[in-house]
Amino acid sequence: MSGSLRPDGSQDERAPHGEGDVPLLRRKIEPVAPDSTPVIEAVNISKAFGATTALVDVSLKAYAGRILALLGDNGAGKSTLIKILSGVFPPDQGELRFLGQPIVFANPAQARQRGIATVFQDLAVCELLSVTRNIVLGREPQKGVGPFKWFDVKKADEMARSALHRLGVRWERGLDERGVNISGGERQSLAIARAMFFGSSLLVLDEPTSALAVRQAGRVLDHIVQARDQGQAVILITHNFRHALSVADDLTVLAQGRVAAHFRRDEIELEELTDLVARVA
Amino acid sequence: MAQGSTESAKAAPSRKAVYGEMARRVLLRPEATALAAALALFIIFSILSPQLFPTKLTYISFMSVAAELGIVSIGVTLLMIGGHFDLSVGAALGLSSYVAVVLMRDYAAPPILAAPAAVIAGAALGAINGALVVRFRIHSFVVTLGTMLIWRGVLIALTGGFPMTVTMPSGFKDIMSGPLLSGFRMSMFWFFLIGAAGTFLLTRTRFGNWIQARGQNEQAARNLGVPVDRVTIILFMLTSALGAVAGVIQVARFSSVDALRGEGMELQAVAVTVIGGTLLSGGYGSVIGTILGAVTFGMIQVGLVLAGAPGHFFRTLTGVIVVGAVILNTAVARRMARSKPLAGFRRSSEAADAAILAADPGVSRGKDAEGQAWPMRANSAKESAP
Repeated sequence: MSGSLRPDGSQDERAPHGEGDVPLLRRKIEPVAPDSTPVIEAVNISKAFGATTALVDVSLKAYAGRILALLGDNGAGKSTLIKILSGVFPPDQGELRFLGQPIVFANPAQARQRGIATVFQDLAVCELLSVTRNIVLGREPQKGVGPFKWFDVKKADEMARSALHRLGVRWERGLDERGVNISGGERQSLAIARAMFFGSSLLVLDEPTSALAVRQAGRVLDHIVQARDQGQAVILITHNFRHALSVADDLTVLAQGRVAAHFRRDEIELEELTDLVARVA
Repeated sequence: MAQGSTESAKAAPSRKAVYGEMARRVLLRPEATALAAALALFIIFSILSPQLFPTKLTYISFMSVAAELGIVSIGVTLLMIGGHFDLSVGAALGLSSYVAVVLMRDYAAPPILAAPAAVIAGAALGAINGALVVRFRIHSFVVTLGTMLIWRGVLIALTGGFPMTVTMPSGFKDIMSGPLLSGFRMSMFWFFLIGAAGTFLLTRTRFGNWIQARGQNEQAARNLGVPVDRVTIILFMLTSALGAVAGVIQVARFSSVDALRGEGMELQAVAVTVIGGTLLSGGYGSVIGTILGAVTFGMIQVGLVLAGAPGHFFRTLTGVIVVGAVILNTAVARRMARSKPLAGFRRSSEAADAAILAADPGVSRGKDAEGQAWPMRANSAKESAP
């Protein structure tokens, strides 16, 4: 229970300890210029699977340099929404806009090309590849002559190191450490570092803290804040209101496939949020 | 804590730690078990038949067995690291050998055309396997079980069950499997060449990284933009093509093909691969291990004959070694893989860290001085503090 999110703990204003023991931070929210264009915008999205309605008329906007927390109970439609955003399947109705322009993703690869990086809880790393190889996976640096190209190990190490550094992660152990040996929190951080390093425009994090111990969750949240501060648009899907409130700039609550509420961080407190979600679920 | 580790990194590690760390790193290699098995068998067979076993003739003999099986096994290894099985590789070897023989015998094709044609035919058979696996999302074990029966059935039908002989220029026979390497067969040269290429492919190319990623976490690889389906199809093509290379070598050696050519090799190749330290579950393994595994296999076959053991011993002993190797590989290697470097061997390079910090002004150094393992840059939480 002692793990403080900040090394200098004094600046945290702590809320009473709840189930997630991460200190609740009060932060000033820098106002976003009203005319700035969202990196991605969902406009009146609806989606049904057979007779099951997953999303009805859902709209949301994710801005560069802001964290949007997407909250909601199981079955509220969070997963469906992020799958639409990352191109896994198209919406039945409504449209997506990327930097203001309407866009249709035929498959996840197209979303990825636009810089939409989705980090799933269990799918962040290959367990038996080294840290370096995990980070550069899919974008391995190569050198060689003509058609003969090989993996540039040195360059890959440099890339991995600077990816981690850019996020403020100092990797204590070697970059040749294998995925099995790194903790859940480190995996999430690695995935965030990777997404940012390769120039993602939108980082979608699916429950990044749900399987983590308190201290690790704090570190991952720090890295999310770090990504935001470097101008990244972030959508954070979480069950944990405390985590959401400690880092998010905007909060959207989904319930039964609809947007039940939308707040800016300074407009709501933990108790209200908890009540609200309990009420609408 | 971080402070402590920095200090211990600077202090010279003790001798015990140096040897301990060396042992740890050797045991971490997937090839460790195969190397141990090969050395142990060599010693045992040399003791059992001291006059016969440690002689050049014996080495030539077991390397000849190892080379042909080894070439097949290298393909199977890469495929298994990619998370798939190929039970059809033995039958593909037979069918592509048939292609080579028929081209030379009935169409008077020179070997220089017939041999590549056979390899291309092998690759085509592999492409069918790969396409079926990718298109219908069926486990490769089942797909290749089916195609194994099909290829074999076709081969039996085409040959009518009889051996087909062919005459070919002696130059071709020599290049493929002649005793040109001071008595050793040329097949050994091809075996080592393909082994080196396979090792390079696996460890030093982008494609190799993709093979391993495919075997470990297909979904993660897909998410990160690895063309997983293409990797799968290429792996199957490579496996059957290498089967065909071994087939061409056998055609050169026997000047013939028969209906049962290559039968049983698919499972021997899996055995060799597993002895070589490749995980049955995929994702991790070594071509060098497979080379050692093939040598082990050859040694068992030849060594038992020289020791005067009854024929069935071969299968039994091979089985014992396969089971033993799997136990060792999973138990020891897995445990070791999770172990941490011993004191004094923290391998993050501080010089490299410093260079990057200097080059990237976006990274603050302030927190590093505090010795935090995960230093955070001054962030908005701090800025907004009253």
